[in-house]
This record gives sequence, structure tokens and C-alpha cells, in this order.
Amino acid sequence: MTDTNPERTDGGTVTDDHGHDFPGTGSIKRWFVTTNHKDVGILYIVTSLFFLVLGGVLAWLMRIQLLVPRGPGETILGPLAYNQAVSAHGLLMVFWFLSPFAFGFANYIVPLQMGAKDLAFPRLNALSYWLYLFSGILFGVSFFQGGTFSGGWTMYAPLSVPTFTPDVGASTAVLALVLFVASVTVSSVNFLTTMHRMRAEGLTLRSLPLFSWTILLTVWMMLFAFAALLAALLVLSSDRLLGTTYFAMESPAGALLWTHLFWFFGHPEVYIVFFPALGVMAEVFQTFTGRRIVGRKWFIIAMVLVAIQSFAVWMHHMFLTSINLQVKTLFMITTIGISLPFDLMVFALIYTMLKGKIRFTTPFLFVFGALLLFIIGGITGVFLGAVVLDYEFRGTYWVVAHFHYVMVGGVTALVGGLYYWFPKMTGRMYDEFLGKVHFAIYFVGFNLLYFPLFVAWETPRRVFDYAPELAPWHQLATVGGFVLGLSFLVMFYNLFKSAFVGDPAPDNPWEYAHTAEWAVPSPPPLENFDGTPTYRNGHLEVIEAGEIAPRRDRSDTPAGSSVSADGGIAASSKTAVSTELPTVESTAVEGPSHASIWPFVLSLGAFLVLLGLSPLQEAAFPSGMAGAAYATTAVGGGVVTLGSLVAMGLEPFHGPVFEEGEAWPFSGIDNGKVGMWIFLASDVVLFGGFIGAYVFTRFAFGWTGWEPIPSDPIPGLVNTYILLTSSFTVVLALVAAEKQHKGALVTSLGATFVLGIGFLVNKGLEWQHLFHEGIWLSTNVRSSTFFLTTGLHAAHVIAGLIIALYLTARAWRGAYLEDSRSVEYFGLYWHFVDIVWLFLFPLFYIL
Amino acid sequence: MVMARGFGSSVPLQSGIVPRGSRAVVFDSIFEVFLLLGTLVGVVVLGYMLYNAYKYRFGSGNGDFDEADRLTVGELPTGGGGGRKLFTSFFMSMVIVVSLISWTYLTLLYVEEGPSAEDSLHVEVEGYQFGWRFTYPNGHTTDGVLRVPADKPVRLTLTSADVFHNFGIPALRVKSDAIPGQETETWFTANETGTYTAQCYELCGAGHSFMSAEVIVMPPDEYEAWYESTNGTQSSENTSAIHSADTNALQPTAPANAGRLTEVVV
Amino acid sequence: MVSTKLYTAIYAVLFVSATIQVLVEFAGLNYWLAFGVIMVLSAAKAVLVAAYFQHLRFEPRSLTYLVSIGLIAALALTLAASYSLL
Ligand code: HEM
Ligand SMILES: [Cu+2]
Ligand SMILES: [Cu+2]
Repeated sequence: MTDTNPERTDGGTVTDDHGHDFPGTGSIKRWFVTTNHKDVGILYIVTSLFFLVLGGVLAWLMRIQLLVPRGPGETILGPLAYNQAVSAHGLLMVFWFLSPFAFGFANYIVPLQMGAKDLAFPRLNALSYWLYLFSGILFGVSFFQGGTFSGGWTMYAPLSVPTFTPDVGASTAVLALVLFVASVTVSSVNFLTTMHRMRAEGLTLRSLPLFSWTILLTVWMMLFAFAALLAALLVLSSDRLLGTTYFAMESPAGALLWTHLFWFFGHPEVYIVFFPALGVMAEVFQTFTGRRIVGRKWFIIAMVLVAIQSFAVWMHHMFLTSINLQVKTLFMITTIGISLPFDLMVFALIYTMLKGKIRFTTPFLFVFGALLLFIIGGITGVFLGAVVLDYEFRGTYWVVAHFHYVMVGGVTALVGGLYYWFPKMTGRMYDEFLGKVHFAIYFVGFNLLYFPLFVAWETPRRVFDYAPELAPWHQLATVGGFVLGLSFLVMFYNLFKSAFVGDPAPDNPWEYAHTAEWAVPSPPPLENFDGTPTYRNGHLEVIEAGEIAPRRDRSDTPAGSSVSADGGIAASSKTAVSTELPTVESTAVEGPSHASIWPFVLSLGAFLVLLGLSPLQEAAFPSGMAGAAYATTAVGGGVVTLGSLVAMGLEPFHGPVFEEGEAWPFSGIDNGKVGMWIFLASDVVLFGGFIGAYVFTRFAFGWTGWEPIPSDPIPGLVNTYILLTSSFTVVLALVAAEKQHKGALVTSLGATFVLGIGFLVNKGLEWQHLFHEGIWLSTNVRSSTFFLTTGLHAAHVIAGLIIALYLTARAWRGAYLEDSRSVEYFGLYWHFVDIVWLFLFPLFYIL
Repeated sequence: MVMARGFGSSVPLQSGIVPRGSRAVVFDSIFEVFLLLGTLVGVVVLGYMLYNAYKYRFGSGNGDFDEADRLTVGELPTGGGGGRKLFTSFFMSMVIVVSLISWTYLTLLYVEEGPSAEDSLHVEVEGYQFGWRFTYPNGHTTDGVLRVPADKPVRLTLTSADVFHNFGIPALRVKSDAIPGQETETWFTANETGTYTAQCYELCGAGHSFMSAEVIVMPPDEYEAWYESTNGTQSSENTSAIHSADTNALQPTAPANAGRLTEVVV
Repeated sequence: MVSTKLYTAIYAVLFVSATIQVLVEFAGLNYWLAFGVIMVLSAAKAVLVAAYFQHLRFEPRSLTYLVSIGLIAALALTLAASYSLL
């Protein structure tokens, strides 16, 4: 790339792709190294559709089985295989299809709508995608390890522990989910930083387009909800692989513990999968009615309310457990509370049609159909909110029919979104006639599939033996399932063909579309805008790069913090958050990089680690060749992971330049710092989940009857001293870096590293001692909580030490004196780990 | 207690607007109202939607927005008018939903309270992979068959010996989780004698589809006679032929589970 | 910003209060009283570390709110779940 002029990098043009080693879209290599949000978006969409087919085939298998009630010997899938099909179908559809499908659009469209050239951390974005893909592959592998997980997508304990589901594949499926959550966490941090920090000037949150709004709220919910799921999954993995006994049937309230952790995630998840669909509906309704949405402000407020309340309704999934009446009442009230904002949103969409000029294009048909389906799903959901009715509907096809109407209703809207944005993404129009044919078949198939299930609601869920008189309804449903599935063939044919030979699409093929993605060419150039977009005059203008130069000084003036130049590298942790710091100065040397192979390699490494660990039971590999092969895989994967982390750290990578426009509420705080804090907020919930699990278990056990595991608090106290001291040395390191004191910087960082090692050694000795006394992870639930919670903390310490080591080495060679941000961000992480210990110590050692 | 009057009687008492009576009566009457209103609201809303979609279709000439005020690319998103209508409908839907749910809440309180302990027969239910065990007050235990007298409230205390199950008798509209380490309570009254099926409603492993039990509702005097004959013995009345056939059929497909089953259950 | 002296003072306070926590435990107080004192001390230490070492005091408030949201979510889960057992 000859584009070395700093001015030219923003504006530099680009109808075709940038030079410097960034291959064109035709090249296979491009898709492995790309970090561009639009490429990543397309990768997400294509991959998720693949998982749709996989989940769909499993659904077909089930529907065939359900054609008639089957006795024990008369099945097509054996009982266990059927359970696997139900579980894998649910998991695949919810996690590997629905959310990533929506996030394909989010990746592609959101930066365009908000006037950004890319996400804040493009490499992390690629990393999210690759982690997602490899998690899906890992899930696929689980089918071949004696059978995948068979305990339902809700994974209720204790069926989920190896006593009852002993297959290796079941562990692999759980680990695949862990990897998936890692992907989600990385992408939540990335999206939140981007959406809060990088909006074009004049584009306040209030005036953000509705699709972007839904994604923003979705990501907020994801950040916290998936952290709770991660806590649940890590505990479950530990029960499966290491032999802890949180969920064992002997554990006091282990089964309930899972339901709390799972549904605390699970209910927000309902909105996480639905909100993006709502956003698509809002955009498409406006575009094809030609009218602005009615009550936009209230629509947004309603969504915000839902997002907040979604964390306060989880126990409505537990009405039939032993929870008390007060709690039932409370959660019944919050449940009605959360349903009401949806009424408002639905009416807002309906009234938007009035006085419009509605064009029934394919996207509108799908979105309109989605609204119809959603209304049916919503009404039948009110039934479940009435606790007395829920008592009876629980575990029946009423629930199955209801959530398919809602979730697959959401899918319907997203399919509309696919048609809607297809011309933007490919630069070609799809075939309108075939699109309509697809809709017609789809809509008929949908209702033929799911409506009969309401009629046959007395069928218990997850069974294939049901009352014979219900068989006709199930047969209708099966036919509908095939119609629905086959309708997608029309779509695949249409889109595939059109991508190559469709009519060329203009910038804005939809006439009344108003959001910014329609203001740029189809497909948009690599860096989206031909300059810097701004809304300072109330509408989109793209300003030539030179014009805005004076505003640069405004871009980073953090209150009191010491931000200077140079893209450095900071921070990592369990999910490997490293940060690319896009800065003005660095691009003076080089144009934005769009390529990095390391996200791919890193994800491959993580995949191998988890695959290698999957056969563990009671912390031991199986004996023989297989065990050795697995262990080797894990170690090899570990090497690849670490190596690519370091490589990623050292790689000179520059995100596209951005001018700080609207950045509420984080204006003036550097992207890297915002990202770090967002990540830490999710880590708070992760540890919160672990500590919560401990408190809950201990409470069920009898609080005061619970003896702390270490008989002597002194080793813990010593470790408290060590950690506090190491926090202090990190503070000194930052002071040294700011004063540009290389010697002091290296010494302080080195001291931190040594102290951290001291912490681990001391802990190792303590554990050794306990093992000698015969106290092991699986001894009882007290020892399980002790080892696992402090173990998770120790893992955070280890991650911190790896970064500390890296920072020390780089500081030795003179880094961070100009730009101390990496040291600062590492400090934020390290102090957080310290704070966690400040609570673990009293809870596990002295109380 | 006025409330309790409804429990024993075979004629469901409908005291005013809040349904009382057996679980089946309570459920059916509420379900009916919900179905009726739900269908009504659904038809009205969907009808309105379809009607307007048709009315304002492109080229119908009904749409009257000002061409000058149409959406343009790159504008800052704003809302259209029509707020009053929005709130009216929102308010109406709120009234419907809130009053419906509040109404059912009164019934919930009634259901939660249940029949008094003296009036009712108390049976302990334990779920296991893949069957149900019932223990009567005199210590008599049966697997796979629950016998109860007609017209007498039955209180169940449920738990599980292994994984999470859920015990439900669909015809009698009673259901409750059976959770290892926890006890849940529920009750029902059967007004008609006959044989019903209980079924597991929470995925619990390979035998889940077939994890059922028979519920035999007997005339009270016959029940008494039977109950006397059990004489507090532990003898198991294992009439559940279907049940054992199921487990056999499951063996080949689930050897791993089945092998562990015995360790777990004892 | 903050001087190294203040950092050192805070470090000393943290060190001492950790020691006090253990002393409280050995003092043989009533369990719940000891519980209260110890948890309050932990919380105070956490606030000190966050406010000064992580310099949240000197950052825009939004970062503090951000972390608080996570904290509130975790607390809500723990408390509501435990309460439901009663
Ligand atoms: C495309 C989006 C879809 C989503 C998000 C979705 C989601 C789910 C979920 C979460 C479950 C519950 C799994 C469990 O109980 O553990 C489920 C069950 C099921 N789904 Fe889907 N599904 C989708 C499409 C379909 C399709 C197209 C069919 C039919 C062809 C189908 C048929 C079934 C069946 C038969 C069950 C089992 C119900 C039961 O016994 O509980 N699903 N689905
Ligand atoms: Cu929910
Ligand atoms: Cu079951």
C-alpha cells in the first residue's frame, strides 16, 4: 500500500481492496486472515446457515419419529439417540444458529449505521468468529465420541453429570459451549466498546437506528447473561472432568443450583435471540411502509425496560420446584411486567403501517409474517405467565409450540433481514419472484408445523410416546416440518444464483430506506465511508479527511489519565482479551491493517485444548493410547494457543483510524480501557456466579454447620499479603512508566511476577497439604467449592502472570515508556483479581 | 374454612368468579377463559393488521403521506406521529393482561393453600430412573401404581432418588417437580373412579418417554378395604408390567446408564 | 494525580485490615458479629483498591456504574436464589 499519508488513510477511497497483503474477496486466504467487519459478518451468516441445516436435519429426524407414538422397541432413533437429537437440536438452533445469524447482520450493518469504519478491535472480532466456528466444530465432534450430550438444551442437573450421562461426547458438548461463550464474551466487549465509543458526530444514542439499538441492548444482555452461563458451564465442566460434586445428586440443592444459574442466563437469552429480529422488523417496516416508526422513543424505552427486567424473571421457569410462594408471586409480577413493553412495541409496528404505502417485497412479507407469528407466540405466552396454568403446561408441547412461535418467528424476521440486506452485501438483487415463493411455502409450512402442536399440547415434551389420539396433529406437524425445511431450498438456490448473476444493486434499492448503510455503494468499500461521516447538521454527511483534522485534539483527552502514542498491546485473561489500540499517530506510519492470521490459529489452539481435555474424568485421562493421544492434543493445543497469543501481541496491527464523535457515556476514555472495564464487569458476574453458587450451596447445607476446608487460615492470610503487595508493585510500575523510568518499571513488573509466583507456590503447598490429608476435589461439596472457586481465581492469577511476563520482557526492551496504557490496563485486571481474593479469603478461610 | 368446602365434593363448587374445586376444574375453567380471550384478542389484532396491510398497500391510494416528508437516506432517525393511539392500545392490553393474571392469582393462592392435612390422604412419591414409588401413611410402598379413593383430596410429597423428574397426572391436572434432595408438595382430588396415567414431564434419561405410572381411583369403600389389607406391610405391588417391559427394552440402547442405574438407585 | 505516598499509605491500610480480619476470627466473637465485621472490612478494602489502585475515583463515573451493574446482577442472583430456599 502506498497510502502512507496520514490524511489519506481515512479518506483514501477504495473501491477495491487495500493493498498491503490484504487479498481480494476471491481469494481463499482472505477469508482466513480478514478482520474486516463486513467479511466477518458474511462468515457469520454463512456458517450459521450451515448450523441451521444441521439443526434442521435433527429436527426432521425427531419429527419422523413423532409421526406415530412409538413403543420401546419401535423407534427409529433409539431412546438415547432421540434425547441427543432433542438436546443437540435445541443447542444448535439457539446457540450456533440463531444468535450468530443475527450477529452476522450486526457485524455487517451496525458499523455502517453508526458511521464507523470497523469495530473497535477488528482482530478480536475475527477471533470471535473463529472461536464460534471452532466451538461448533467441537460440538460436531461430540457426536463421534460415544454420543453427544443428551440432557436437553436446559442441561438440568444431575442428569448432566457423568453418573448419568457418561459419554465423552457429553463433556465435549459442554466444553463446546464454553468455547462458544468465550466467543460471545469477546464479541460483547468489542461491540459495546464500538457502539458506545465510535458513533459518528451527532449520532447520539437517542438517534441510533433501531436495528443498532436492538443490537446494543442485546449485547448488554449478553455481556452479563453469558457470564452467568459461563459460571454454570465451568462448574458443570468441573463436575464432569475433575469430579467436583456441585451438581451430584447428593449435593444439597445441586439440582436447584443449576436451575438458578441456567435460567438467570436463560431468560435474558430469550430476548438475546429475539431482539435483533425486532430490530430487523422495525427497519423493514419503516422502509417498506415509507413511514417513520410510531412512538420511536417509547419503542426504545420499552426495549430498555425489557433488557433490564430480563434479569429479574428467571424463577418463572421454576414455578413447580420447591421455591416459596412469596418468590413465586414476585416472579409472576415481574413476568407480567416484562410482557407489557412488548405490547407497546407490537402496536408501534402495526400503527406504522397506517397511512403508509406498503410494498410487499420479500423482506416485508417475511417481517410482516414474523409479526403475525410473534403475536401468536406472545398471546400463548401470557397463558404461561398465569402460574396456575403454567403448573399444567410445564413440560408439555404448549411450551414447545409457544417458544417455536416466538423464536422461529424471530428467525422469520431475520430471514427477511437476509433478503433486505442481500443487495447491500453482494451488490446484486435477489430474484423477487422466488423470494415470494419462498415466503409462501415457508409461512404455510411454519403454521402447519407449529399450530397443531398447540392443539396437541397435552403431549409431554421430549418424549416420542404419546396418547394415540394426538397422532394426527403430530402427523400434520411433521408434514409442515418438511414443507418449512424444503422452502429453504428455494432460498438457497435464489441467493446463491443471484450472488453471481443477479441484477446489479444500486446504493439504495429500497427507495425509502433511511439508515446509513444505504448511503454507501453496494457492497460498501473496505472502510465504508469515503471520509469521516458526521451528522452534525442533522443528516449524514461524509467529510473529506482533511477538513476534520483540527478536531483531532478533541479525540483523546482523558481526565487525568496518561494516554500517549503508539498502538501497544495490553491485557489478556481467560478469554484472551487483547486490545488493539487504534491511535492517530500510529497510522502516520502505516495504513490500517485488515489482515491477521492469529485469531484463526488461536481459536484452533483453544479447540485442540478443549478437545484434548474432553475425556477427563476425576481429573484423569483414560489409560492407553486414546488417553495419551488426547493428552498430547491438549498440550499441543496449549502451545498453539500461547504462541498465537504472543504472536498476536507482537504483530504490528492497526485498526482503522477513528475520530471520537459521540461517545456517551464513555467519552474521553480510551477504547482499550473501556474494553477492559467492560470485560471486567462480565468477570464480576462470572465470579459472582461462583461465589453465589457457594453461598447458595452453603445456605442449603446449613450455613454455620459448614466448616471451612483449610483448617488453618494462615496460608490464606499470607497469600492475601502477597497479592496486596503485588497490587502495590503494579501501581508502582505504572508510576514508573509514566515517569519514563525504565529501571523502576522493569523492577516493579518483575516483582509483580515474582509475587504472583509466590502466591501460586504457597497455594500449591497448601493444596498439597490438603491432598495429603485426603481432601480432594470430589471429597464433598465443601471441598468442591473450595478447590474450584479458589482454582478459578488461581487461573486468573496464572493468566495475569503470563501477561506480566510478557510486559516485563517488553519493558526490558524499552516498551511502555512512551505509552504506558498496556501497563495500566494490566493493572486494572490484576487489581480486580486482587479484589476477588479479598472476598474469597474470608469466605473460604475464616468464616 | 369456606374454601375447603370445595375439596371433597364431587360437584365442583364455583364460588363466584374465582374458580374453586378440584385441580381439573380450576385449570379447565381458567384455560377456557384464556383461550376465549386469547383467540378474541388474536383475531382482532391479526385482523386489524391484515386489514390495514391491505388497505394501505402500495398503489391503493390510501396512503397519504406527504412526499416531501418521506424517509430519506442518511436522515437522523426520528419517530412518526400516532402516539395517542399507541398509548390507548397499550393501556387496553395492559388492563386485559393485568386483570387476567390477577384473577388467576387468587386461584393460585387457593391452589397453594390446598386441602387441610386432616381431610386428605398423604402419599409420598419418589421418582427414579425410570419409575415411580409411592409410600402410604402406614408405610406400604408400591412401585408403578398409585391407588387413591375418589372424592378425597390427596396430598403428594415428591422427591427423587436420582435425577430431576416431574410427576404429572394430566387428566387430573396435577404436576410437580421431583427433585433430588428437595421436597415439593402438591395435591389433587379425583372425582371419578377409573384408571389414569401419570407421566414424567422432565427429561430424565433414556427411559423418559416411558416413565409412567398407573393411578387407580377407587370407590372410597373399596379403597378402604384395600388399604386395610396392606396392613402396613412393605410388600410391593408391582403390577406395572409396562414398566418392566420398558426398562428391558431400554437395556440394549442404554447399557452405560443401565449399568450405573443400580448403583445409583440404592 | 495520586502521589506514591498515598499509594503506600493505602497499601499499609489494606495490609493491616487483612490482619484484623483474621484477628477478629480468633477473638471468639459471636459468629454473625464476626461475619459482619469481616465482610465490611473486605468490602472496604475492595472499595479502596478500586478507587485508588484502579483509579476509578478519577475516572468518569460511568465506569463505576458499569462495574456496579455486574455486582448488582450477581448479588440479585445470590440473594434471590438463597431466599427462595426458605
Ligand atoms: C429455526 C429455529 C429453531 C429453534 C431456535 C428451535 C429451538 C428449539 C429448542 C430450544 C428446543 C428445545 C430443546 C429441548 O427441549 O432441549 C426445540 C425442540 C424441538 N424442536 Fe425446534 N427449533 C427450531 C426449529 C425447529 C424446526 C424447523 C423443527 C421441525 C422441523 C423443530 C422441531 C422441534 C422438535 C420436534 C423439538 C422437540 C420438542 C420436545 O420434545 O421438547 N424445531 N427446538
Ligand atoms: Cu423466562
Ligand atoms: Cu423423565
